Amino acid sequence: MTRTEAEVILKRVFKLEGFYDTQWAVIEKIFKGERILLIEKTGYGKSLCFQFPATQFEGTTIIFSPLIALMRDQVNKLKQLGINASCINSNQTLNENNRIISDAKENKIKILYIAPERMENAEWLETASQIKISMLVVDEAHCISMWGHDFRPSYRRIVNLVGLLPAKFPILATTATATLKVEEDIKVQIGKNVSSIRGNLLRNNFHLNVIEVKSEDEKYIWLGRNINRFEGNGLIYTGTRSNAEIYASWLEFAGIPSVAYHGDLDGATRKNIEKGLIENRWKCIVSTNALGMGIDKPDIRFIIHTQIPQSPIHYYQEIGRAGRDGKKTYKILFYNSVEDIDLPLAFINGSKPSLDKYDKITNLIKKKIMGETDLMLASNLSSMQTRVIIADLIEQKIINETFVRGKAKFEYRFLAPKLNYKFFEELRDAKLKELAQMIEYIDTKTCRMKFLCDYLGDKYSENCGKCDVDNDKIIKKVIVQEEWIKKLEQFRLNNFPILHFQSKDSNLINGVAASYYGFSKVGSTIHKCKYENGGDFPDELVQLVLDAERKHYGDLKFDLILYVPPTESGDLVKNFAIKISEYLNIKFSNALIKCIKTQPQKIFQNHLAKMRNVSDSFLYLNIEEIKDKSILLIDDIYDSGTTIKEIGRYLTLLGAKLIAPLVIAKTVGGNIK
Amino acid sequence: MTMSEIPYWIGLTQLNGWKIEKINKLIVNIIHDNKISLEEFFSLSLTEWNEKYLLQENDIEGLLNLKKEIPNFSFLTEELLSQGFEIITINSEEYSATLKNNLKLKHSPPVLYVKGNKKILNEKSIAIVGSRDASEISLKFTDNIAKLASEQFKVVVSGFAKGVDRQALDSAIKYIGHSVIVLPQGVLTFSSGIRQYYQEIVRGDLLVLSTFFPKAPWSVQLAMARNPIIYGLADEIYVAQSDEKGGTWAGVSDGLRKGRTIYVRYPEQEEQNANRKLIEKGAIAVDFDGKIKEGQLNDISKLDKEEEIKSIIYGLLKGKELTSAEIIKRTNIDWKPKKMSDFLKSLNDIQEIKGKRIKYRYKTEDEPQLFIGEPQEKYGK
Repeated sequence: MTRTEAEVILKRVFKLEGFYDTQWAVIEKIFKGERILLIEKTGYGKSLCFQFPATQFEGTTIIFSPLIALMRDQVNKLKQLGINASCINSNQTLNENNRIISDAKENKIKILYIAPERMENAEWLETASQIKISMLVVDEAHCISMWGHDFRPSYRRIVNLVGLLPAKFPILATTATATLKVEEDIKVQIGKNVSSIRGNLLRNNFHLNVIEVKSEDEKYIWLGRNINRFEGNGLIYTGTRSNAEIYASWLEFAGIPSVAYHGDLDGATRKNIEKGLIENRWKCIVSTNALGMGIDKPDIRFIIHTQIPQSPIHYYQEIGRAGRDGKKTYKILFYNSVEDIDLPLAFINGSKPSLDKYDKITNLIKKKIMGETDLMLASNLSSMQTRVIIADLIEQKIINETFVRGKAKFEYRFLAPKLNYKFFEELRDAKLKELAQMIEYIDTKTCRMKFLCDYLGDKYSENCGKCDVDNDKIIKKVIVQEEWIKKLEQFRLNNFPILHFQSKDSNLINGVAASYYGFSKVGSTIHKCKYENGGDFPDELVQLVLDAERKHYGDLKFDLILYVPPTESGDLVKNFAIKISEYLNIKFSNALIKCIKTQPQKIFQNHLAKMRNVSDSFLYLNIEEIKDKSILLIDDIYDSGTTIKEIGRYLTLLGAKLIAPLVIAKTVGGNIK
Repeated sequence: MTMSEIPYWIGLTQLNGWKIEKINKLIVNIIHDNKISLEEFFSLSLTEWNEKYLLQENDIEGLLNLKKEIPNFSFLTEELLSQGFEIITINSEEYSATLKNNLKLKHSPPVLYVKGNKKILNEKSIAIVGSRDASEISLKFTDNIAKLASEQFKVVVSGFAKGVDRQALDSAIKYIGHSVIVLPQGVLTFSSGIRQYYQEIVRGDLLVLSTFFPKAPWSVQLAMARNPIIYGLADEIYVAQSDEKGGTWAGVSDGLRKGRTIYVRYPEQEEQNANRKLIEKGAIAVDFDGKIKEGQLNDISKLDKEEEIKSIIYGLLKGKELTSAEIIKRTNIDWKPKKMSDFLKSLNDIQEIKGKRIKYRYKTEDEPQLFIGEPQEKYGK
């Protein structure tokens, strides 16, 4: 097919006038049955490179994509053009997915989007061995590479598959973010004469700025004072979930419509916020970097980082989510040279568990075929570490996945090699170097966009003319006015962290803590009373907790106050709850008891072990008292929330109408010692 | 061999209507004679297929269809490999030399699907076979033979059926020997068995092997088709107990006709099984320790004597045509030519060849299906 012929079809089917030269170059290679890696910036039109040939092939084109929202958008657009496209994903019902599967088997689907995780699904594999497949596309191909910013173990099986496909079977891998090293790695993994095509990654509507600060307070104050001066709506990225909560509360306090978004929120809440983002319901959404990838909103006007990302490629990827419409967009990065490096450092250093933990998991699997849950419980490792170790052991061919009655389990491979731990050290060294480059970005004396493009391997030589360096408008000092300091103090006294409990499974509602543990004096006061025989919690804590209760629960009326019975003896929480009940004039009961001895929750490293520890360990001595009651449930420290969840489940079972948790302090990332 | 060859190998075994010999001959032609890979073969032109490989229209059509399905086999291969299975092809050094030697190009499966210690495939081996509901003494014999084999570092090959098969496997494990399970199904449908024998696999004492399509479920046909693989993998074959019909009987009778040495447990006087019959057919009687029993046929009746002569003649006439006199001369049987001719005429398996002198030969076309017929490997995907 010549380009002219193809463009006639393009006009008829896609209603587009013509291909870019690069697009056509890719398409020609696909028609020749070649393997291509295409690196082009977001919004370039990468998808046309496979959608067009897909419509010309006899069978189905399969696209692996990790972003469900993006899949859905593309499917809808293709359907509007009359092209038979579908996606199989975990958000759809089994019936929907099955219908698509049977359509695919009948060769009714031209373009089929699936998530990489599907490769672990027996039904999909059965389907894949029956449908007529014409081409394979690997979207977000940087996820293949451990050297990239977003490695995903689920891509491993795609790489395996690609290695087993015929040499003349067309394969297209696409990404918007790949350094030269990642590009090379992807090419090696996709193998067999793959060629790469790299576009220009410059985004000329980006206005890049760095603001160096001396304290966290300066970030709060600058944001509070300036956010409303930005046009449109935007995102603020924080380094942690609790910081997302705190910043969002602060902005709200300062009168700026904001909301926090992170992984602790339940699915429905997250979906609602995503929808709100599209509808511009808030000036800004404060989020961990989980938000924004795959959300098709062209007019996000600003992206602010309160915390330095791990590498320039992380940064480029995250800021790339805004300004897809090509209009003026601000990117601001805060940096406190004293402490901001700690978080990414901790993240890099903690990304791989220690060698003995790998050995622990390996030895468990050597003895018995086990699943992820079995391993978590048997090893007492965190779910995150367990998952990382399993993925690495599979990657290094020490264990393999197997299916027992449809459930994934892991078995040791006979003659398995020794764990190559040195590789992890190399990986860490590489990531530390990347972090150093990110710090260099702060101090760069050249154009910031050029810095990023150079880092990505883009041979772009001009300056953007829009960043703070090019315009010599670097903000060197944040002005801190007395009124803002006061405002911030006031906020801190009134900022009560929300405890996310709401779910369909129990009548627990979202609770509140009077403070963050470690954020103010509260933590040390609790510590003194609890671990250094400091006596009852002082009245100032009672007052603070009452403030939190009033602000969070408002006019909600309670019938009964209960407290979480302690693991070890002591009446601290009980006495505290009695005081609260006296102030609020609500009936107090100590009928909730522990009926079996449990271990302190803090010794367990994952929620499954914590749950098992407290499961069925509570008893209410006077069951009739609970039915249809609204209960205020009091505890001192909120950590994983597993104990409160278990009590909530139990009281729901007894007929409680509502259970409202109220605690003195919430830990930040499990920092209780 | 590169990994990307595997989907082609699996694909070839799934060609509709192709017998193993035909597949193997094509493979030899491609890899051995022409020194190219399967992938390269599949990218040749139809003319080359026709001229260089002498493929006819029918075959070419089948191969063309297969070529389109290779990506599907790539998915299957990925599934197998990621679940820790390995694929051993007939041209590989890892392929069992014993199997190839016993089954030849005509019946050797092109592809073995395995999990575990592959080295086991090239160790000295014995098979212990017998019925699903074997008597206690047969099971004890099985246990003893497995013990002796394990002590002599011989691999015990068995078929994972009830009775003698399982006894052979469990005893080999008990005596910390090596063993091979030959599955009557595809490897991907055997996860519960793998879980059961996980420790032995991890230790390297056990190899799980199947020659069938990886997703094929257990079936009677596969169980039958698996028997020749068990016999083929073994250097020595021991029969613990056979009935007068069924898999063991058919397998051993067939093996005897093929000239394999087969050891049968010499039964007690009161035993109701067909062990004695097999010995009469030419199997070698062994005692509890697998030692050959001398003078085993002294006490047998006239009828049994005729059975013995029959099996000797069968062995002699395999691939040869001889007159009655020649047969008498070669076997030293104390019969007149007339008696021999009458006897030969009474045998269904012997064919008379008219001529100046009447000759006799063994009828090959009536052989039972086990060794001649192809294992039923073709399964609808």
